[in-house]
Amino acid sequence: MKKVALILMAMLFVLSASAVLMAQGYDAQPADAKIIPLGEKGTAYENQEPGVQGGTMYVATISDPKKWNSVTAHETSTTQYTNMMLRGLVDINPVTGAIEAELAKSWDISVSNLVITFHLRQGLKWSDGEPFTADDVVFTFNDLIYNEDVETDTRDILLLPDDTYPVVEKVDDYTVKVTMSMIFRPILNSIGTPILPKHAVAQYVHKLNPDVPVGTFNSSWGLDTDPAELVGMGPFMVESYAPDQHVTMVRNPYYYHYDAEGTQLPYLDKYVLLTVASQDVSLLKFRNGELDALGIRATDVPILKREEAVKNITVLVDPDVANYGTSWISLNQDIGLAEGTHENLRTLYRTRDFRAAISHLVDKQAMIDTLYNGLAVPQWSPVSYLSPFYAGRDYYGGPVTETDAVVFEYSLDKAAELLDGIGIIDRDGDGWRDYEDGTRVEIEINTNAGNTVREGVCLIVSDRASKIGLKLNFVPVDFNTLVNKLFAATGDMIVLGLTGGNEPNSGSNVYNSCGGLHCWRYSACDEPNEIEKRIDDLLDAAVATLDNDEAFEIYKEYQITLANDDLGLVYTVNSAFTYAYSNRVGNANISGPTATPSGTNGLTMDLAFLK
Amino acid sequence: MKRTGILVLALVSCALVLFFVAGMGSSVAELEDIVGNEIINRIAPNISAAAGMKLASEYAGSKTQEELETLVISGATAGIRTAARMALSITYAQKTVIELTALATGDIDPAFREAASAPLQNFLIEMSADDLKTMAVSGATHEIRLAAADLYYLKTRGDLTAEKLEMEAVLNDSAELAYMAGVYLSGFYLSFNPKTMEELEELARNGETEGMRMAGATALTSMLIQSDLTAGDLELAVQAIGDAYPELLQAYTDALAHRYGS
Repeated sequence: MKKVALILMAMLFVLSASAVLMAQGYDAQPADAKIIPLGEKGTAYENQEPGVQGGTMYVATISDPKKWNSVTAHETSTTQYTNMMLRGLVDINPVTGAIEAELAKSWDISVSNLVITFHLRQGLKWSDGEPFTADDVVFTFNDLIYNEDVETDTRDILLLPDDTYPVVEKVDDYTVKVTMSMIFRPILNSIGTPILPKHAVAQYVHKLNPDVPVGTFNSSWGLDTDPAELVGMGPFMVESYAPDQHVTMVRNPYYYHYDAEGTQLPYLDKYVLLTVASQDVSLLKFRNGELDALGIRATDVPILKREEAVKNITVLVDPDVANYGTSWISLNQDIGLAEGTHENLRTLYRTRDFRAAISHLVDKQAMIDTLYNGLAVPQWSPVSYLSPFYAGRDYYGGPVTETDAVVFEYSLDKAAELLDGIGIIDRDGDGWRDYEDGTRVEIEINTNAGNTVREGVCLIVSDRASKIGLKLNFVPVDFNTLVNKLFAATGDMIVLGLTGGNEPNSGSNVYNSCGGLHCWRYSACDEPNEIEKRIDDLLDAAVATLDNDEAFEIYKEYQITLANDDLGLVYTVNSAFTYAYSNRVGNANISGPTATPSGTNGLTMDLAFLK
Repeated sequence: MKRTGILVLALVSCALVLFFVAGMGSSVAELEDIVGNEIINRIAPNISAAAGMKLASEYAGSKTQEELETLVISGATAGIRTAARMALSITYAQKTVIELTALATGDIDPAFREAASAPLQNFLIEMSADDLKTMAVSGATHEIRLAAADLYYLKTRGDLTAEKLEMEAVLNDSAELAYMAGVYLSGFYLSFNPKTMEELEELARNGETEGMRMAGATALTSMLIQSDLTAGDLELAVQAIGDAYPELLQAYTDALAHRYGS
């Protein structure tokens, strides 16, 4: 009875919090509006339904955003908001996974495959009412992404093998031409990066406004920015932000998506992300009806299954579908490099056999059994399990057979043997292994506090390491602090994850030796070893062919080389798709596997509505 | 005796027709009719309570805290008292942790302690699993021990298995921990370690301990809700079960409450 009361309590709260609709917006539906054919048979959206406008939806997150700037963001704690605020020329259909038109309504590809002409939607406006034109597109690429003063990972995924970038030119106000110097197969994946409003942010770009110092853009749209100054083309804009409490997003009155009945999207008036201390709190809040959707863990499934009927929620579990993305352990091979410290540890991390020893300590089955209730799969590749390029397949898009999987089976003996082989042994008889100089090997292993699964991974690895005398000290830290450690190369051993997609080139910012997120060895950019050079070559080769089968074979070698020879990241396990939502949320069934820890998983927020 | 018996039968017959109709419609007015009906309350208090569960939000929105506190104690029917207690829990969400703790541990009517326990959980969740377990064993009142036991299992969910919970639902450090072990066990019976409806009904009826019976009953509630049984079917079952099997009765009553609200 208590549980029922809490649901009702939350419903009351939601009702009282429902916002008044914002004013302004289009006078009439723009001719070039994007129509989402919800419920129409034969379309990708036939299993969804037209909704009604209004209401506030609540989800939870365990991290505050770092900024509101999508171009410089590296972390999902930021992009979960900027992805709501902004749109790109193209995007990936949430149902089919195919590339589809967004700010561009169509595009033509030249016979040579070297020129793409994008035709932009006309009559669209930014959230502040200013017109959207080709100038915004050209500005985003030429003055932001290609601008060396701007810190962005997006450059990495647009870099062609000949070290040039696609040239972006304005043809007229609603036509943009993209010219490449060579074949670049994933161009449509890479070109979908969010477009920013020139009129709102050009002032922060030194090359356009010499009055501001170089690099000013990198700190623009920070958390101290008045939300009213944030401008976007996405379904929601930030209305307010309270650290450790919430981010409230409000409908963009100029969003250009409409349903087939002419109702402007998003349906929701507001979308609130509550910042909570841990996944325990978010689970409790969802259970109590205070949240409308939750990206759940396998360990949450029994708890929510028993309440599924009583509390009118849906718990989606698909044991055969692993989420996109990767989960891994990073060993910072540059630790102390800048400061001239940690020489022993740095040398150790740079030893491939040590990284192999750590791989043998990853008790994946224990993780799957205890942290995921069996709802997870072992992971070994940098490419997502669902990608048609995943090397666990025998051919492009084929079934997963894992024939060529690189497996470091859990084996204390093999790990100990490898450590013995590199001279990491117990030299003073205290039970802990030491360096050659007699000092104890002592490693700090971090993950983001509150993520109980990652904390569990740390504990399992630490426990197994201790069984062979390797001392790992687990210290959970705040997510954004952890990200800072990763980028400053000041971290030690870190357990984290990356988002993923179908196209492996989207990981070039990570796996290319000069990638902005090559977090285990940034120094590789200046001093790549032979393996890293090979990986760079493979990445280049795979994008230079339009033949997916050929690209598959190249990516296969790339994955095996990374997993077996490079071992920059030690992969753990990847959860199966699990998700829960209140049945009062319409179109929640569109959710699909992603690695976005936003609490909404693949929920397409502009289609969600409250019944 | 015979005459009284006939009269009762007639009343039951009328009452069942009324319940069935209410179950089909379940508007606020119809629910009000059920919880306000003293005959239903006398013959089938669990049906009255089931309707009360679905009126909680209505009560929370229309009555003051003082009115609810009065109704919790002196409401004329089980349905009114249930609705008031659950509505009070909603109202108590505005209180501070100190106020809620005082209520949940106070020497007051258990209904008030139960009403305070749910919102108090939002604060207790910050405690460590060890501290929650200690509270679940030695907390001042049954209600706070139960709230702590619930969160203890929530926080340790990564370590739970059906086998572990089956042991802990039988033998545990406190009755509340055993009870909650059973509640959490029910989720495994609905997911990773499935049982049939017949098995769950038998467990709810004759499980070895209250915890095991709760495991069966809680899982059974879900299955009943997802079944084709109508509100009328459930009303008949509630009547037939009577008080002999309280956990089984609770399962059917909770499912009936859900039917009223759907």
